[in-house]
Amino acid sequence: MNLADLHINRHDGVVVVRVLGEIDMSNASDLRGAIIEATPNDALGLVLDLAAVDYIDSAGIHLLYRLGDNLRSRGQTLRVVIPPNSPASDTLRLAGVRRHVDVVDELEEGVRAVAAGTAGGS
Amino acid sequence: MAERETTLTKVGVGQIVLEPAAPILAPAEQVRHLYRLSDPALSELELDELLDELLERIREALNVDTAAILLLDTETDELVARAAKGIEEEVEQGVRVPLGHGFAGRIAAGRIAIFMPEVGKADIHNPILRQKGIRSMLGVPLIVESELIGVLHVGSLTPRQFGQRELAVLQLAAARAAPGIERARLFSALEHEHRMAMLLQRSLLPRALPEVVGVKVAARYLPARDEVGGDWYDVVELPRGLIGLAIGDVVGHGVRAAALMGQLRTALHAYAEEGHGPSLTLELVDRFVQSMGEYAMATASYAIFDPETGRLRIATAGHPPPVIISPRGARVVDVAPGAPLGGFPYGTCPEQEVSLETDEIVVLYTDGLVERRGVPLTESIEKLVVALTGAGTAERACQVAVSDLVPEEGLADDVAIVAMQSTRIPEALELELPADPSVLSGTRRLLRRWLRERGADEPLVSELALAANEACANAIEHAYAPGPASFQLNARVEHKNGSDHATVVIRVADNGQWRAPRGENRGRGLTIIETAVDDFDVNTSSEGTEVVMRRRLEAR
Repeated sequence: MNLADLHINRHDGVVVVRVLGEIDMSNASDLRGAIIEATPNDALGLVLDLAAVDYIDSAGIHLLYRLGDNLRSRGQTLRVVIPPNSPASDTLRLAGVRRHVDVVDELEEGVRAVAAGTAGGS
Repeated sequence: MAERETTLTKVGVGQIVLEPAAPILAPAEQVRHLYRLSDPALSELELDELLDELLERIREALNVDTAAILLLDTETDELVARAAKGIEEEVEQGVRVPLGHGFAGRIAAGRIAIFMPEVGKADIHNPILRQKGIRSMLGVPLIVESELIGVLHVGSLTPRQFGQRELAVLQLAAARAAPGIERARLFSALEHEHRMAMLLQRSLLPRALPEVVGVKVAARYLPARDEVGGDWYDVVELPRGLIGLAIGDVVGHGVRAAALMGQLRTALHAYAEEGHGPSLTLELVDRFVQSMGEYAMATASYAIFDPETGRLRIATAGHPPPVIISPRGARVVDVAPGAPLGGFPYGTCPEQEVSLETDEIVVLYTDGLVERRGVPLTESIEKLVVALTGAGTAERACQVAVSDLVPEEGLADDVAIVAMQSTRIPEALELELPADPSVLSGTRRLLRRWLRERGADEPLVSELALAANEACANAIEHAYAPGPASFQLNARVEHKNGSDHATVVIRVADNGQWRAPRGENRGRGLTIIETAVDDFDVNTSSEGTEVVMRRRLEAR
């Protein structure tokens, strides 16, 4: 059992990566590598679903930032699914970075946004 | 004492086969000495000493320069030098003579005594004999219950005639020595197998049980009276702070069962580490057993405990049911048994979830503990339940299970027991943790459980766990002391004098020098701490850095 598991799907040009488990200093960098790996160059972008994440800390926020940079440099879009009152939502609030991450409440919304090629709000 | 004429028959060049000599009376001291060789309790070491002495006496009695014993290795049909006087090199070099070849090989193959008046001309397999300058030799077979076990021979550095008298002494020595040698060899072979099996079994059981705060584990392995068996237990520290508890029993005994046990324990451990639940883990081990291509069957039980929630998930494969001891009494866990591993194609193992409250103990055991001839299993298990009632710790549970259920004369079957208690977390947490990111997850869980037990509500639990985690991550990042680095986490509840307010105080200290937060990441960690607690201090000294965080226990 890993601290976190990844479930990867593709909806047309949109890659959806669902994270289950916990993200901290011990696995954040490995997870970022695996997520980048799962997102081919020809994809429109990535929806990272953190709805089923039980725990995420500053190392996880760092992951979101780096991932955003990686994708932007390839001209791809990132949306992060973080439902209100979820553990990830609490962490973003406590770190005061919510406005710096392209958060959507639901998966569908994220997929639509990435498919439409809408640029991030940050 | 009348000496008979030696009957000499020519066999090949320079070899003379001697007819067995009539019994003669050897000097009393020699005989006494030879009788010692019949001692049935001879150990291999004692045998070495005796053979040494025997060869020395033969050398004196026959006035020969060399004496040697070679034993038959039935695996290779070779004679192997075992003891020697005057030609010790034979043993040191582990000389091997094929059956039927050379001097000793012919004695063994034909079970005949051979006198060789002139070594120089003869077919000699062992070059050491010639190198040593041995001129004449006499040898007899060592026979026990019509089985050939080796050869005893003597040699002279000057040409010499060996007659009936020499042959008689040598035959007497051979007759007395052979059974002792055989017994000691058998004994030692059995001992060896037993020792190997025990060693194998020990090496396959976990060396040390993991130490986890909030959980206390104890275990026993008791070998059977006569044989090693295939029982095992295992404790697996799983990611996300979970504890896996396994027990199993391979059908059969001996080295094969012990080896098979090792394979199954490894397979179960590996599947458990993958994070599969109890049912699937056992089912995967079952498929593994089925795929081994040889008949193998085992029973096993696997449980996963979450110390944070107290949830215990159990599945069993043809294995006796676990027992849970609570302060109010002990009870058998009602878990539907699945098929034994390797028993049926596509066997399934249903899973049961129970709650293991603080202070409660779950006990897994193998059937050797409860199976007694003529006693129904349910009755023995009931006896175990009675014995376990009142056991206050995992260690105590193992003790009473052994003292009340294991008969004095020992066990016919081996026994494994593993017990785990969900222990109370101390009111003041004091942890010394390795500076490794892998400790973070378990530490968060422990802290959350501690906070809940102190009466904290959920938002406070998750926010403080997050803040403490950030401080721990900082300490791990700062740890650069030589050798294995560690850091401390302390947590307590403070009651200010004259105030009803209770404050949680969490301190994280490392031995590293404080470094200004590097990059956005650490900066965000500090922001999280700042937002999550009421106040915090960072104290730096030459000893290291400590972060002290405080937050009121009551909702803000």
